[in-house]
Amino acid sequence: MKKAMKRTLSLLLAGILLVSLLAACGGGNGGQSNPPPASNPPASAPGGSGASGGGTDAPAPLEGEITFWHSFTQGPRLETIQAAADAFVAENPGVKITIETFSWADFYTKWTTGLASGNVPDMSTALPNHVVEMIDADAIIPMDNLIDSMGRDRFYEAPLTEMTAEDGSCYAVPLYSHAQVMWYHQSLLDKYDLEVPTTWDELYDAAKKISGGEGGNAFGTSVPMGTNDMMATRFLNFYVRSAGETLLTADGKANLTSQAAIDGINYWIKVYKDCSPTDSLNFNVLDQATLYYTGKICFDFNSAFQIGGVETNAPELLDQIDCAPMPTINKGDPQVGYETSNIPMVIWKNSAHPEVCEAFIKYLYRPENYVPFLLSVPVGMLPALKEIAEDPAFLSDPTVQKFTHAKDVISKAVGEGTAIGMESGPRPEAGLLTSQGVIESMFQDIIINNTPVEQAAKAAEDKLNDLFETLG
Amino acid sequence: MKLDNRVRDKLAGFAFILPALLVVGLLLLYPVVSSVFFSFTSKHLIKPAYEFIWFDNYIKILTDPDFWAAFLTSVKWTIASLAGQILTGFTAALALERIRRGKGAYRTLLIIPWAFPSIVIALSWKWILNGVSGFLPNFLVKLGLCETAPQFFSSGGLVFPTLVFINVWFGAPLIMVNVLSALQTVPKDQYEAAQLDGATPWQSFIHITLPHIRVVVGLLVVLRTIWVFNNFDTIYLITGGGPANLTQTVPIYAYNVGWGLKQLGRSSAVTVLLLIFLLIVCMFYFKILDKWEKEGA
Repeated sequence: MKKAMKRTLSLLLAGILLVSLLAACGGGNGGQSNPPPASNPPASAPGGSGASGGGTDAPAPLEGEITFWHSFTQGPRLETIQAAADAFVAENPGVKITIETFSWADFYTKWTTGLASGNVPDMSTALPNHVVEMIDADAIIPMDNLIDSMGRDRFYEAPLTEMTAEDGSCYAVPLYSHAQVMWYHQSLLDKYDLEVPTTWDELYDAAKKISGGEGGNAFGTSVPMGTNDMMATRFLNFYVRSAGETLLTADGKANLTSQAAIDGINYWIKVYKDCSPTDSLNFNVLDQATLYYTGKICFDFNSAFQIGGVETNAPELLDQIDCAPMPTINKGDPQVGYETSNIPMVIWKNSAHPEVCEAFIKYLYRPENYVPFLLSVPVGMLPALKEIAEDPAFLSDPTVQKFTHAKDVISKAVGEGTAIGMESGPRPEAGLLTSQGVIESMFQDIIINNTPVEQAAKAAEDKLNDLFETLG
Repeated sequence: MKLDNRVRDKLAGFAFILPALLVVGLLLLYPVVSSVFFSFTSKHLIKPAYEFIWFDNYIKILTDPDFWAAFLTSVKWTIASLAGQILTGFTAALALERIRRGKGAYRTLLIIPWAFPSIVIALSWKWILNGVSGFLPNFLVKLGLCETAPQFFSSGGLVFPTLVFINVWFGAPLIMVNVLSALQTVPKDQYEAAQLDGATPWQSFIHITLPHIRVVVGLLVVLRTIWVFNNFDTIYLITGGGPANLTQTVPIYAYNVGWGLKQLGRSSAVTVLLLIFLLIVCMFYFKILDKWEKEGA
């Protein structure tokens, strides 16, 4: 009897084990079927009282309930979107909008697991790499009709190109843009009588001087390499792009053994060893940004979300921060090492009311809705519409005025960069390049195990190419 | 035809437990069966179509050096954590048993780590041990014990012991509470008899205390082995398996395969392999427990 009980117990434990593991791995649904058939891409942008900017010639009362997932979890952004949705519903009584917010990480989990069971929203925000995967999974619909009805030339060209698939259709409409540039604390530069660096070597020299002088209280910069983020990939990409190379070749192969990549790896290892806190070996984006917010590092690479971070964490430092263009290899080289993020909105193929989604998207771009949304993170979110960039309501914001130089630097960068790995258009390999921590592991391997750079780069390149094969 | 009373009672009893059996059965069987099934397929997280590929997933995993490295790390992680938790929990329980006043308060204080959610534990320790602004590294420097702040999470030699320490701190209270309860069941007259016979405290511990509580401790070891081996959140939240995969355990490996690569089939195969391994370990444990029970009977 006791033996039987123990056998039962061991089976029970085994079951619990698998349940818990599957919870972590997210068991699939057992079916082989596609998500429920989606409606065809809307042939034309609907009118409705909420539409604006063209296409309003056939107003018909909008009706339907849509779910909108977005990742604007912070207060002001959340509130402006909710206010726009409330106003849209007030103008269109037949419409109901359910808004659900998730962090980017949770959002990714939600849609990837929900896709098979049809549990996806009608419309959502997305990261550029998500859009590529959504296109690959045939989960979203083309938005060319909406873009054309709003006026294609009102949008900047680069974000639209980035979201245009091989079939020539544009699957997402850009909501806002930002770019990674070099941020610095002027007070630390002044303390060490330094100029804003314009080349990578100058950056190294300045960072080394500051780290040496501060004796551990502050650092010149930090090189984040945590495997649960993509920061080391980002930093390497800055260097490689500034040398005119890319981390992905045009045919979607990893490119970590080019001379530019090897030089970049060596450069960041040198900066890590001489200028960075040792713990940055495990840093993610927040660990890194917190050091900048609190003035613990002089230089960081990020978007203008840094302004809000400094304002929240150390407002007394707000007058001391600014940004500059990305350093170059040689003095006077053109600055091309930019990584941009064009955050778009997409309409899901599962949506029963794509016409409501389109009308709501148009409504969001109305200046009375769009400008307050952009100004909820001033300078952090730059307009996707050209005319809004010149709109007095946008430009007169005190933070935008205070950081005009930063806005100009980032605006210029936005026009000259792409997302990592998307230099030749949207590629699913770009998602794996940034999400698997392979480049981060490579850096850690070089530092922890003293693996030669060329050997580690080759191993990481091979590993990435193996991973790309899983894309099928 | 009338049913015999005994048969009727049995049927009634079965009817009462049937709903629970169904729920538990479905909750356990569905994931187990689907996991085993998907382990033989090319199931992808977001692509609906998949095909039967027999043992391909198993071959890929068993020939992947990263899997074996993760497996070895998991074994080390489990043995080190378990040894630390049992030693600390046991010692704390023995000490608590001797306290005459405030036993309840001490017990409550010592159980606190167990009550914390993993995310709180991970973030707290990340903050305490942060190599730049963390309290402990800077405190050690101020005390003059270290010249520079120790890098608990980025030093290849420190990161694993640091994680084990955190896990011991977290898991020891559970051992302590259970051992303490078991200690209270040991008949006091046996200690008195041993004392009269001239036994030393150590001899009393070995010959009276241990035989009485070893079954409880054995069951705890079984449970903790499974939990610690499967532990994911603490390590993932603190180091993500790094640096240089030094802290990548099998669950983190499975997560990376399942979520990162979206290869659910391969990820399921990892969980099946893990299940087989843990079943073997559990059977080994149960053999020992059986032997102990027979000796005690």
